[in-house]
Amino acid sequence: MNRTPSVTKRKTAIFLHKSLHGNRFAQVALIVLLWLAGEAVSRGTGLPIPGSVLGLFALLYLLITGTIRLSTMRRGANVLLADMLLFFVPAVLAVLDHSEFLGLVGLKVLAVIFAGTLMVMCMTALAVDVGYRLMLRMESRHAVS
Amino acid sequence: MPSLETILITVFWSAATIAIYLLSKRTYRRWPAIWSSPLVLTPVLLAALALSLHTTYSEYIGATRWLMAILGPVTVAFAIPIYEQRAMIMRYWPVLAFGIVVGSGTAILTAWALASLLSIDGTLRLSLLPRSVSSPFAMAISEKVGGVPDLTALFVVITGVAGAALGEKLLRILPLKSSLARGALFGMGAHGAGVAKANQIGAEEGSVAGLVMVLVGLVNVLAAPILAYILR
Repeated sequence: MNRTPSVTKRKTAIFLHKSLHGNRFAQVALIVLLWLAGEAVSRGTGLPIPGSVLGLFALLYLLITGTIRLSTMRRGANVLLADMLLFFVPAVLAVLDHSEFLGLVGLKVLAVIFAGTLMVMCMTALAVDVGYRLMLRMESRHAVS
Repeated sequence: MPSLETILITVFWSAATIAIYLLSKRTYRRWPAIWSSPLVLTPVLLAALALSLHTTYSEYIGATRWLMAILGPVTVAFAIPIYEQRAMIMRYWPVLAFGIVVGSGTAILTAWALASLLSIDGTLRLSLLPRSVSSPFAMAISEKVGGVPDLTALFVVITGVAGAALGEKLLRILPLKSSLARGALFGMGAHGAGVAKANQIGAEEGSVAGLVMVLVGLVNVLAAPILAYILR
C-alpha cells in the first residue's frame, strides 16, 4: 500500500474542490448535509449540544485537516451568512402576541437591554484592552531575558 | 394534505417576508442610518402588515417557520469565519478568551439582576439572558434555559440596535488603545449589528468583532447546560 492517509486527504480535497467550487448551491447542499448529520448525532447520542453546532465543528475539522479547502466553501457559506436576518426575522414578530410590551413592561425590558448592553460593552472592551497590554508586556519581557 | 387555504397563507406570508426583507435592504443602501437598517425596518413593516390584515402571530409563524429552519445551516457556515481568522485566534487566544468570559458573564448577570430589580420574572427574565448572543445561538440557549426562543430573537434584535447606537459613543469615552478591544466591544455587545458598525470603523475592528461574535455564540451554547442546571 503506497497510499498514505495524507494522499487520500489531498485527493479528497482536490475532488471536492473540482466538484463544488464555482457552484454555490452545491456548497450550500454540503453545509445542509453536515447540519443534518449533526442533528442525527445530537439526537442519537443525547448530547446537550445542538446538531447545528456539531455540524459547525465537523466543518471546522474538515477545514483544519485540509480535507476541504476554504476556497471550496467560502461562497456558499457567505450566501447563508449574508442573509441571516431573513431567517430569524419571523420570530421577532412574536411581539404581536405581547401587547403588554406597549406599556410599562416594554419600557422595563428596554431599560434592562440598554443598561445591560452598556455594561457588557464597557466590561468587555476594558477587559480585552487590559489583557492585550498585559500580553504585550509579558512578551517583551520574554524577548529581553 | 394541507388545505388550499393553508398553502395560500404559507405562500403569501413567505413571499411578503422575503419581499419586505429585500425592500428593507435596498432602502438601507439608499438611506443608511440605524433606524432604516433592515434589522429595524423588516420587523416593523411586517408587523404593520400583519396588524392591518388582522393576522395573529401563530398564523404568521406557521406560514414562515420553514425560513427559521435555515438557521441550522447558517450556524454550520459560521465555521468559515472562524477558520479564516485562525491566525488571530492563535495569536491572541488568551486575551479573546478573557474578554469573552468577562463579557458573557456580565451579559447574563446584568440581565438577571436588572430584570429582578424591575420585578421582571419567569420566562420573560429567562428569555432576556442570552440577548447578547447572535440569534441562532441565542434561540438555542433560550430554549435550553427555559425561556421563549421567539421572544429572545426580539430581544437580540433590540440589543443589536441599542449596541450599534451606543458603541460609537462609548468609543469616544473609553481610553481603548487596541483595535482588538474596539472590535470586541462591538462583537460582544451588539453581535451582527455591531459587526457591521465595527467594519465602518476599521477592517481590523470588523474582523475582530465578527470572530468574537461567533466565538461568544459557541461558548455560550456549550455553557448553556451548566447555566440551565444553575437556574433549576
